[in-house]
Amino acid sequence: MNQPSQEDRAVRRIAVAFGLSTLAGLALAVVYILGGNVQAEGILLAISLGGLGWGLAEWAGKLMSKGPEVGDYEDPPPPGDEEEVAEVVAEGWDESFGRRKFLLRMMGAAAGAMGLALVFPIRSLGPSPGTSLLRTAWRTGSRMVREDGQLVRAADLAVEGVLTVFPEGETDQADSQTVLIRVDPALLASDEGTAEGLIAYSKICTHAGCPVGLYRVATHDLFCPCHQSTFDVLDGAKPIAGPATRALPQLPIEVDDEGYVVATDDFAEPVGPSFWNMDR
Amino acid sequence: MSSLAGVASAVTAEVQEGEALFQNACSSCHGPDGRGTDLGPPILDAGAAGADFMLSTGRMPLDDPHRQPIRKPPAFNSEQISQIAAYVASLGDGPEIPDVDVDEGEVALGQQLYSENCAACHSSAGAGGAVGAGLEAPALNRSTPVEVVEAMRIGPGAMPVFQEETLSKHDADSIASYLVYLREVPDPGGLGMRRIGPIAEGAVAWIAGIGLFVLICRFVGEKE
Amino acid sequence: MIVQKTVRFLDERLRISGFSKKTLRRIFPDHWSFLLGEIALYLFLILIGTGIFLTFFYSPSAREVIYSGSYEPLRGTHMSQAYESMLNISFEVRSGLVMRQIHHWAALLFLAVLVVHMLRVFFTGAFRKPRELNWIIGLTLLTLGLLAGFSGYSLPDDLLSGTGLRIGYSVALSIPVVGTWLAFLVFGGEFPFGNILSRLYVIHILIIPGAIGLLLALHLAMVWRQKHTQFPGPMRTEQKIVGTRMWPTYAVKAGALFFLTGATVTLLAGLFQINPVWIYGPFDPAKVSAGAQPDWYLGWLEGALRLMPPWEVRAFGFTIPNPFFPGLLIPGLTFNILYAWPWIEAKFTKDKQPHNLLNRPRDVPVRTALGVAGLAFYTVLFVAGGNDVIAGLFNLPLERVTQGLQVMALALPVVAGIATYKICKELKGRTPKTGHEHGHVIVRTAEGVYETVEPEKV
Repeated sequence: MNQPSQEDRAVRRIAVAFGLSTLAGLALAVVYILGGNVQAEGILLAISLGGLGWGLAEWAGKLMSKGPEVGDYEDPPPPGDEEEVAEVVAEGWDESFGRRKFLLRMMGAAAGAMGLALVFPIRSLGPSPGTSLLRTAWRTGSRMVREDGQLVRAADLAVEGVLTVFPEGETDQADSQTVLIRVDPALLASDEGTAEGLIAYSKICTHAGCPVGLYRVATHDLFCPCHQSTFDVLDGAKPIAGPATRALPQLPIEVDDEGYVVATDDFAEPVGPSFWNMDR
Repeated sequence: MSSLAGVASAVTAEVQEGEALFQNACSSCHGPDGRGTDLGPPILDAGAAGADFMLSTGRMPLDDPHRQPIRKPPAFNSEQISQIAAYVASLGDGPEIPDVDVDEGEVALGQQLYSENCAACHSSAGAGGAVGAGLEAPALNRSTPVEVVEAMRIGPGAMPVFQEETLSKHDADSIASYLVYLREVPDPGGLGMRRIGPIAEGAVAWIAGIGLFVLICRFVGEKE
Repeated sequence: MIVQKTVRFLDERLRISGFSKKTLRRIFPDHWSFLLGEIALYLFLILIGTGIFLTFFYSPSAREVIYSGSYEPLRGTHMSQAYESMLNISFEVRSGLVMRQIHHWAALLFLAVLVVHMLRVFFTGAFRKPRELNWIIGLTLLTLGLLAGFSGYSLPDDLLSGTGLRIGYSVALSIPVVGTWLAFLVFGGEFPFGNILSRLYVIHILIIPGAIGLLLALHLAMVWRQKHTQFPGPMRTEQKIVGTRMWPTYAVKAGALFFLTGATVTLLAGLFQINPVWIYGPFDPAKVSAGAQPDWYLGWLEGALRLMPPWEVRAFGFTIPNPFFPGLLIPGLTFNILYAWPWIEAKFTKDKQPHNLLNRPRDVPVRTALGVAGLAFYTVLFVAGGNDVIAGLFNLPLERVTQGLQVMALALPVVAGIATYKICKELKGRTPKTGHEHGHVIVRTAEGVYETVEPEKV
């Protein structure tokens, strides 16, 4: 009995690898024709690529010369090279620009002016911030609606209920999103701007602008799921945990004669994350 | 007359059975009359919905009253649960066990309402999440439709209340039907990894992906 | 015959035979850890290939449409055309979902391999003279990779991607003096930006891949020119390079590596679902999901934002908002220090010599210790990016986890650095012997020459 040599065994393994790869490739085509399936496609692709890779790796590792072979690294540059280059540059400079200082300055001015002009189109990339970060769409008398446009009545909310609201007709104004909560009025630190235990805060986190969507009833606080800033609903939405430094601005509200909730003014401070000149 | 009286006495009997169970299992924290103690809140207005939710999800009775109750196998059978629920309902003015018709709900409406009202705590995929202060919004993959709607109506623990004026019966049915959809329709892309998102994906990339790459490099390259 | 004819044809026009001969005989040291960078190259090719397929179906438009495709829970929902096209790629285009999943897995792995490759280069001192320029190009490739990842993550216009953009905008807004203007120019206005998708799209499919392609070519050209570094070993000196010849062995190995890289990515794409955008739903600025995380490679920035105490600077009526420090100052410092590292180190070691032989990490305890300390810091930040998941998994209060991580972010680098320094000193003093003492140590032949490999874990 002849034992198969190491080489024979490698050849056999490589043949198996390529064979598997071929089968998987064909099966892949069949899967596609039958309508496709993510699992089958991914796994068959893996087999067809993996078979090729495995075969080639064995081929290179077992059947080709491995060396090791020796070569040379680059020699370090001979000293004096840099002087020669510098000399060539200096000669050219003296012979051309170096002699015409006036023209050189003119050329500099022209290039500078062109560079400056080319900066201006950057201005087209966006509008001026202006006061857009300081105001929202809430106005005195804006009625509250839900995101689907349905008007909000005071009676819609149970104690410990919560709703996301917008000014009527402005549900696409992301900076106006507001969270309306009803709490037991006796718990509120101040009832200013509240009505029947209803209290409204900007829903945009003052830290990084995520919607502070998460109302924890047991402790009466709003929690931002992004970076975990926490705001005390009963006490002016002051930050009590997490990275936020400012309270959520409060929207002053009242309940009108028909029972709808309306804003009595815009937010007193800018909503959302802080910025350099927010107090100006 | 007699049949009405029979119904009435059956109801009373149920309440009495429930009271007995309540005194045994619940009164040490919620008080013998449901007015609460230092260990547990009053439950006069918890209603049948509140009792049914807490008992059928195994959240109550609680071993350690200082911990957030979590889902476990219920301690009572369904008959006992409805008896206790009947007794709790008789204590005050709480919500009834809601009647949920998943088939009446619209999955698409449910998706919208879920992402608007629920996803901030329970995550888009219903995987739940930590909500700070040692609390956790539970995963919703085992909640029955009735439990889901009960939770909306009573606002257990740190959860807000969503009463019928906020989310109508049809809304509630729709949310329940969306959750059923999420649970029952398999992940088209492969293993969902509990649907916790980029963290699980990153772990797979590092452990499986980089792990395989190192093995491959050692297979192809020189190992000395 | 064909080879001869082709070479003749090209040689008569372009004079290639000299270069080709040299190239084919070129020697490549092929220690396994040198192949990680090569894998990054192949992942880039896979990203380009799958990316081209995806561009045929993706539409970077914010125009509102009503979905009517086959995913039931979103039928009738208003959404952007971009998000609709993502759903179509996932459910309607045959093989679309597997392409998407391959693309996304390849992206996660591309960045992971870049980081591992960078760590290998750092800890073995491969960045030293004469290879500082290539270190800079490599770092720039990593930066571009991060931008490519973020811009790609933002394209689907699902709830996660919109949340990510929102945070990016808030960080831009926090820059002192120019923040508001810069944010408005970069994002095209106040959140939720009208045409950010088309802008991101051009950045994601043209500008960044173009830049990566160019720098990659330069990166490889420099390796070509300077030749690869090697670990010390028999016959290996600063002048003599030892390895495998380009043709055929190394070329075949490279082909094998390409296919095996592809196999890994497609295997993950077939087994594991990634970024199920249909579950997250269309972006809506008033909605958010618990557990909203970035992809792993931005986890360290997310973690920095989460760990930052509630401090900000307010003076003279101006504000430097909180996100500026973790969101810009930390990554800014990180990359600047990394860019300058070859020169910082040369200044302290006063080493101006060119090096072709690599260090064993234990032989340069100070660098290794500093590297491990830095790694520890970023690992803590990275873990903090998932503090809510950790709190949930181990049933701990979230605030405690955050406080613990805040302490660890400051303490762990010091502890890890000192411990590493001590271990390095200890190992360095020991005569190497057969076996595995730390990492991977193998003695070669009777000459007693050895080399080590630092296990590159993060």
